[in-house]
Amino acid sequence: MMRRIGIALVVAWALAAASAPVLAPYSADTRFAALLNAPPTVPHLSGARLTIQPWRLVSRLEQQYDRDSSREIALRWFAHGHLVESSDPAVPLTLLGTDSFGRDVFSRMLFGARTSLSLGLVSAIGAVVIGALAGGVAGYLGGPLDDVLMRTSDFVMVLPAMYVALALRSVMPLVLPASTVFVLLSAIFAIVGAPFIARGVRAIVRSERTLDYAVAAQALGASGPRILFRHLLPAAFGFIAIQLTLLVPGFIVAEATLSFVGLGFPNPIASWGTMLHDASANVRVFADFPWLLSPAAAMFLVVLGLNLALEGRRTGLESLR
Amino acid sequence: MSVRSDPLSFNRLQSGDRTTELCAILTQAKLVRINKVTQEVEPALAESWTVDADHRRYTLKLRDVRFSDDHPFTADDVVFTFAALYDKKNDSVLADSMTVNGKPLTVAAVDAHTVTITFPSPYGPGVRILDNVPILPKHKLDAAESAGTFAKAWTVATPTADLAGAGPFVLTSYAPGQRLVFDRNPHYWRTSASGEHLPYLDRITVEMIPDQNAEMLRIEGGQLDVMNDDVTAEAYAAVKQAANQGRVQMLDVGSAMQADSYWFNLKPGAFANDPRASWIQRDELRHAISMAVDRKTFADTVFLGAADPVYGPVSPSNRTWYWTGTPTTPHDPKAAKALLATIGLVDRNNDGVLVDAQGKPARFSILVQTGRPRLERAASVIADELKRIGLTVDIVTLEGNAVIGKILSGQYDSVYFAPTMSDIDPATNLDFWLSSGGFHLWNPSQKTPSTPWEKQIDDLMRRQSAVSDPAERKRLFDEVQKIFIEHDPIVYFAARHIYVAVSSRVTTVIPAVDLFPVMWAADQIAVKH
Amino acid sequence: MTAYIVRRLAFALFLVVAVSSASLVLAEIAPGDASLARLGPTASRQAMERARERYGLNRPLAVQYGDWLLHVLRLDFGTSMLYDRPVSELIPERAANTAILAITALVFATFVGLPLGVVTGTRRGGLLTNAIRGGSIVLLSMPPLLTSLFLVFLAARTGWLPIGGMRSATTAGGGVLDVLQHLLVPAAAIGLPLAAMFERLQSQAIAETIAEPFVIATLARGVPRRRVIWRDALKASLRPVAAVYGLVVGTLLSGSFAVEVITAWPGIGRLMLDALSARDVYLVAGCAGVGSVFLACATLLSDVALAYVDPRVRE
Repeated sequence: MMRRIGIALVVAWALAAASAPVLAPYSADTRFAALLNAPPTVPHLSGARLTIQPWRLVSRLEQQYDRDSSREIALRWFAHGHLVESSDPAVPLTLLGTDSFGRDVFSRMLFGARTSLSLGLVSAIGAVVIGALAGGVAGYLGGPLDDVLMRTSDFVMVLPAMYVALALRSVMPLVLPASTVFVLLSAIFAIVGAPFIARGVRAIVRSERTLDYAVAAQALGASGPRILFRHLLPAAFGFIAIQLTLLVPGFIVAEATLSFVGLGFPNPIASWGTMLHDASANVRVFADFPWLLSPAAAMFLVVLGLNLALEGRRTGLESLR
Repeated sequence: MSVRSDPLSFNRLQSGDRTTELCAILTQAKLVRINKVTQEVEPALAESWTVDADHRRYTLKLRDVRFSDDHPFTADDVVFTFAALYDKKNDSVLADSMTVNGKPLTVAAVDAHTVTITFPSPYGPGVRILDNVPILPKHKLDAAESAGTFAKAWTVATPTADLAGAGPFVLTSYAPGQRLVFDRNPHYWRTSASGEHLPYLDRITVEMIPDQNAEMLRIEGGQLDVMNDDVTAEAYAAVKQAANQGRVQMLDVGSAMQADSYWFNLKPGAFANDPRASWIQRDELRHAISMAVDRKTFADTVFLGAADPVYGPVSPSNRTWYWTGTPTTPHDPKAAKALLATIGLVDRNNDGVLVDAQGKPARFSILVQTGRPRLERAASVIADELKRIGLTVDIVTLEGNAVIGKILSGQYDSVYFAPTMSDIDPATNLDFWLSSGGFHLWNPSQKTPSTPWEKQIDDLMRRQSAVSDPAERKRLFDEVQKIFIEHDPIVYFAARHIYVAVSSRVTTVIPAVDLFPVMWAADQIAVKH
Repeated sequence: MTAYIVRRLAFALFLVVAVSSASLVLAEIAPGDASLARLGPTASRQAMERARERYGLNRPLAVQYGDWLLHVLRLDFGTSMLYDRPVSELIPERAANTAILAITALVFATFVGLPLGVVTGTRRGGLLTNAIRGGSIVLLSMPPLLTSLFLVFLAARTGWLPIGGMRSATTAGGGVLDVLQHLLVPAAAIGLPLAAMFERLQSQAIAETIAEPFVIATLARGVPRRRVIWRDALKASLRPVAAVYGLVVGTLLSGSFAVEVITAWPGIGRLMLDALSARDVYLVAGCAGVGSVFLACATLLSDVALAYVDPRVRE
């Protein structure tokens, strides 16, 4: 049951991300100059229609807004290729308010889902593949290869990714297209995340290797790789699954840190990491602009979904053994 | 009060970082002091001075005072300080700024309380330049200078007992990464207008708080009295709220003397193999940009309205030097497009994008430093406004020093940057105005001026810095501003309004538009008990 | 066993040198150099050239690196270009501060995260389990920057705890109690997400363990459930956490910079960040080296712990 909820959550977010251009009333970089850090426009029933009330600027410097309750702007559905939008272009529909640039947080969250989820997923898969291979081989074969692999993973672990990112950024041309940034970031994350997986997988494989069933398989003439992939690695699935749920949010957040040294997505592209980073630039965010933290809530839902979905797999494994 | 990072040295001659400068303000004294409110020169260690008829030799009468360790201050200390400053072995960070036309000043002691300072050539600002040099105690540093180790003297590892100065405070302890503690200097010579012995304060604790948010929380919570910087636009609301509740006092100091700068790479040959070479370094492009960006929208978005539009290198709040004839560029996107058409950028197929003769879209990048929200917002506004007239702009954010590195090596299209200037007198900023200057942002360190107008500015600035008559200097500098605006090597949009926040404990303070809005007059700050 | 430890130490040494070298080279590649940071952008070209010459920055990269390496072999880690002090003086005090922070966070995370993980892993559903699991996921979804900012904000609003710093200005020398008070916020900022990670890992590990035959057998023998979980199953399930423990500890040192910046904790993470911004290459290399020393010790300890926890791993 929980598993289904988890899968549903993840799938829902994936669908939302994929259909962002339709679901989001605005593009990721549409700015409303008069509405910086404005609160959400909450649709309510007025008569039989859903309407919103516009925000009026009270103090620009103090970023205070007043709701103009004398006006009710109707919402229009299925118009201009968007699911819903405001019938008055001068009164934007901002379901989660606006950020410090005046951009609609809701739209940016949906577009950001594309960037962050795909980056997180690709990086995590990359880390799992590299890490499981390295850890599995190291754990199974042992000896000098094990040492070399583990020391290499230590080196990767301790070399601050910031240094690498900074140096990398400076040898790249000034203007980086989003695709290049994506490839670079996922490569860096996959490499940096692999050692965590490798270490755990190695430990599991090493202990499983001595178990009866593995020894038996070997005695029966099964080849090394077959034992490794068919019998030993699956024992590590549970660990890998949990690590996945830890890596994905970690990567999404790390993207913001790396953007600090300049290795981030170019401006029109939104991402949850940078949205949260921008939000934390102003300490007022907790008290006065909590809607800026919605990417954290979004991430929470995704990670929750992943957790539920992957934990559910456990029951399948138990019956295998 | 707070700073962002540790001092790099206790020797002001060897390091120019902000915290070191603050330490020098607190513990050292200079021959003269520039009052940052009136911009007038006030006597400090020099009681009075006279100048010879040729305006080159100044005779300064020194005060009979003592250093913080009770050692008398004499002319020898002045001579010593300048000798150490100009000593090539030490490579002092102040050496270059204390030269006129590349030649050092000659400092000589007439008697124990009189020195003469001779300028190599007539120098307009005169003694103003002396506000840069803290006078160091010879008795503490002479040994190091003679041994040639002055550059390594007074590093941050020096025990505080070995330091001495003629400033209002004395450094009593330093905990690396945490704080510096200064106690009042009982030998400080200054008295207030009503005759009280300064400084009013007994102790100043300088905390190192790298994060601005944490600093804000501390001042709201009453754990901090003075902030590192003025209040940024984003923080204004929080500070105002705290001020309304009586926890903080907000002081309005006026408009900034200089706006943030936006310029293009004008180095000849920088776009050698680039098809954009035909238009990207042209004056018309920058004029068009100046017309296309609505300065009101700019001020509203970037500074939340707390800024005034500026159209030239000097903002109107700099009353001493502002050229009152500065034309205000109207916000006229149509005229901007027409101007761009004259350099070959036209919207050929009416899709809203300007293209050059080959049909390639007019596209360039703005370089901006990460971690500075105001600069990032500004770049974003510029990009949006330019998109409206059909120019495609990429915003590139790089790490702080990487941006400076790119500027100095000339590897960029355009840059939006916030440079700092210490004194408003333009003659003290020659490395910006002269084409040979290292800070001549759009094309630094030129061997010979690459354009006729830069040569004109060079000549005018040289004359301006040599002449003594203030009216003549103003006239010459007005001319410089006129030429500057004609070519717009740097486009300015808005100068921000400066607000300073201090805690409610502070009773007396003299805020000014300066690098240290409050601490510049640290000896006159008072708090209630 | 001794040969194993010797081999590990040798590798550790090699790792330290390798990481420091890599950091040095990377910091050199980045544009700008220490002369810029020291003099400021307004300095003249000549002044910068002179500064670069003084620091030896105008030599080719290979020469600079070789020179540095030779010095390192003589245990001379260079002089910081920013502070004009030997790197070996600057680092230990800051590293110790971060170590205090890291150890506190680690202890908290271990003794809170692991038991909570056992709780959620051995029960199915229930309010407590879901609440703990939800809490862990919330902590894992928040970037460390935001968590530390939030905690500092809380400290400010409630006034219970000092807002940042390591010692109060008034307490001379700083009593242990004073440091502890200042330690709470940064340690929580690091420790809470870490506890969440341990909880998730441990939860999964023990859930798998209790399905193993030996547990069922022990239960069948009549041993009370509580003892089975907290004694037998726990020990067998520590394997994955023990394996990752070393890595976590090792990365704590350099990963702590976000927290240290916000809470103004005078640690090595902040120093590393400042050094990197200023391109103080010797300091950068030194900090990275220290990080790898910690990692090497931590992974060694972790492998030893692993061997203890799971005898099957020992060869």
